[in-house]
Amino acid sequence: MSQNKDDLKKTISLPVSRVRLIMKSSPDVSSINQDALFLTTKATELFVQHLALSSFNNGSGKETKTLSYSDLANTVEDTETLHFLTDILPKKILAQDYLRSLEQMQEEDGDF
Amino acid sequence: MASSSGNDDDLTIPRAAINKMIKETLPNVRVANDARELVVNCCTEFIHLISSEANEICNKSDKKTISPEHVINALESLGFASYITEVKDVLQECKTVALKRRKASSRLENLGIPEEELLRQQQELFAKARQQQAELAQQEWMQMQHAAQQAQMAAASASAAQQASSSQDEDEEDDM
Repeated sequence: MSQNKDDLKKTISLPVSRVRLIMKSSPDVSSINQDALFLTTKATELFVQHLALSSFNNGSGKETKTLSYSDLANTVEDTETLHFLTDILPKKILAQDYLRSLEQMQEEDGDF
Repeated sequence: MASSSGNDDDLTIPRAAINKMIKETLPNVRVANDARELVVNCCTEFIHLISSEANEICNKSDKKTISPEHVINALESLGFASYITEVKDVLQECKTVALKRRKASSRLENLGIPEEELLRQQQELFAKARQQQAELAQQEWMQMQHAAQQAQMAAASASAAQQASSSQDEDEEDDM
């Protein structure tokens, strides 16, 4: 009978128990059906694959076969469904933009 | 990485599992360490996103437990509909596993004997065996007693016979 459980384990590589803990740490989430848990785990796996693959394909490291942080950050910015991730990505501000916003603030102060 | 704070927000998917998946998805690609760290954190965010959405859908549906259906609808509304086909395959496997488990337990029931009855029968057999053993022990005891009695009687009659013959000798002497 344990063989059935093993069949399921082959389709899922992420630890289901950890996924469950993370889900439960979400506010207001009470009980989760076991099958729903498996589904979420599988979806998370697909997400990792999707994120890694599209970041690599859109990224600058294709020729050198590398994947960098900025490849990921750019993909998140460019893909609408991934916008929920912007909060955990410190925005890479161009130096000139930063200086410009700094000037603006100084001008505002000067108005007093 | 044992965290004594026990902060819920520190929960993430183990790094090793993520590394393995990245390796399988992008074989022969060098991935920067900070990029890996980012993927780990993105995973946690994704799980929160799906849980919250599924939870909202669940609340609207009057059900108390988040079901597979709620998760699928959440994926759809969040723009991850492309995941749904593969995710549904897992659901099918879950059902197959559950079905196999039910079949296995019902096969036992199909003997026509439920588990409680089997237990009761087992207890009966044990009781019978204990009784048989007790009877056997008693029989042996009685046989031993019987044998001992016989031995005693035999000894008694033997000595009685001896006495009888010795007193006869005395009588003969008196007659002379």
